[in-house]
Amino acid sequence: MSPTKTIHNPIGSIERFFDLLLISLIVFMTLKGGTSGACAACKYQRRRCAADCPLAPYFPAEQPKLFQNVHRLFGVRSIVKILEKLDEAQKPEAMKSIIFQSYVRDRSPVHGCLGVTQNLQYLIWLAEEELKAVNAQLQLYRSQQNNNNNGQNQMMIHELGEKQDDVTSQLDLGMGLTVNNNQSNVTPFFSPLPVSETQQQQPQMSSYTYSCSEVNNSGCFSPPAYTDHSCKEILTDNNNTSLVWGQNRFAYNNNGFSNQNESCDEIKSSNGVMAIQSQLVNLQMVSNQQEGHDAHEYDEIHQFLEIIDERQSFADSKEAYGSSSGESLKEQMDQIGENELRNAANCFSLTSVN
Amino acid sequence: MSSYSNYTNSPCAACKFLRRKCISDCVFAPYFPPEEPTKFANVHRIFGASNVSKILHEVAPHQREDAVNSLAYEAEARLKDPVYGCVGAISVLQRQVLRLQRELEETNADLMRYASCLGGETMSAYGGRRG
Repeated sequence: MSPTKTIHNPIGSIERFFDLLLISLIVFMTLKGGTSGACAACKYQRRRCAADCPLAPYFPAEQPKLFQNVHRLFGVRSIVKILEKLDEAQKPEAMKSIIFQSYVRDRSPVHGCLGVTQNLQYLIWLAEEELKAVNAQLQLYRSQQNNNNNGQNQMMIHELGEKQDDVTSQLDLGMGLTVNNNQSNVTPFFSPLPVSETQQQQPQMSSYTYSCSEVNNSGCFSPPAYTDHSCKEILTDNNNTSLVWGQNRFAYNNNGFSNQNESCDEIKSSNGVMAIQSQLVNLQMVSNQQEGHDAHEYDEIHQFLEIIDERQSFADSKEAYGSSSGESLKEQMDQIGENELRNAANCFSLTSVN
Repeated sequence: MSSYSNYTNSPCAACKFLRRKCISDCVFAPYFPPEEPTKFANVHRIFGASNVSKILHEVAPHQREDAVNSLAYEAEARLKDPVYGCVGAISVLQRQVLRLQRELEETNADLMRYASCLGGETMSAYGGRRG
């Protein structure tokens, strides 16, 4: 009976045969790495992904863009050539750096990693300048504290003799008194004459300006000199109090920051077209470090990668980097700045008596 | 135009390297002068002339010089350090930024401590005197 059935239904058996063939083909493709299991590199090049495909571990099929970036910048042959020269342990690191470099080039076709390097150098400069300023202020406070400790008794006797309770109480509260702009800067704060608020701030600001340039020049702090010249500078810059504590160090174009202006110019020029040689100095530094640290901290680069994701652009993001990097610092500094000026005015009024 | 006169006399470094005729509108000629043969050799070894040409065509003409310089920098870095290339420098600089920002935070904290300390001393001195 059965042979007659098969004879009577030849079309059905053929269909079954094709079904089986199709199923086996799908299974074969899935197991052996057909188009569905191929890495992004092989998929992009439309070739069969072999079991020993050198690029498969680094380019998963789910992230085709990674390979496209690398392919566009380096090309498969260059990558394979680079990988061939390296040890097995170094290959994953090399591939990560290649993928990162290609990603950056994709985001910033003109500047690539050089733009990132320049941005980081700008951030370093910014932080160093900020640190210089804060250190100068710190040294000022230290010297004031020493002065306070040494001459506190003498000062108190002197103040009692002068009977200036009203002035001091107002200084303690950080309140400004009536303004008299015609007073000379050398007028003692405990004079019977009314003292202006701007003049209360002047010694602090002038000493800051002076000490900052002193630190830049000699690396050591010396007490501020109150000359008419410095007074004029401060008076003209008195409206820019926030700049002292602000982030934008490029705004220092007054005479008190000549040294910083020089470095500022250097940075400006370096932000334009940076000499490649200077970059390679860093690079040598890197290679020296790498001798000691084979396991490079690539996580940091990934952190940077995330930052890049947020920033979206490198070429025109210098301002963004500058402002966002020190955003929290700026807020902090602004908060400090208000208190600083009050405290400094009080403290300085005390030390000036000595 | 000086670059044009250069490559009318002799082929650019790229065409010399690739042993081809340097045509008048050669995309490499303005950026790879014959006096700097290694610049193109490095870029070609790492990225390949075809990729560089594609990148240059995608970029606006006034930005091409910057693009070539950055590519030359990256290529040289990759040749010197095949594992990390220029990414190593980025990593070092990034660590330096983090270190400086940490240092800055600490110094700021010191400054605040001093400021509050000095303010407190002033207040206590006057407060004690008044009391």
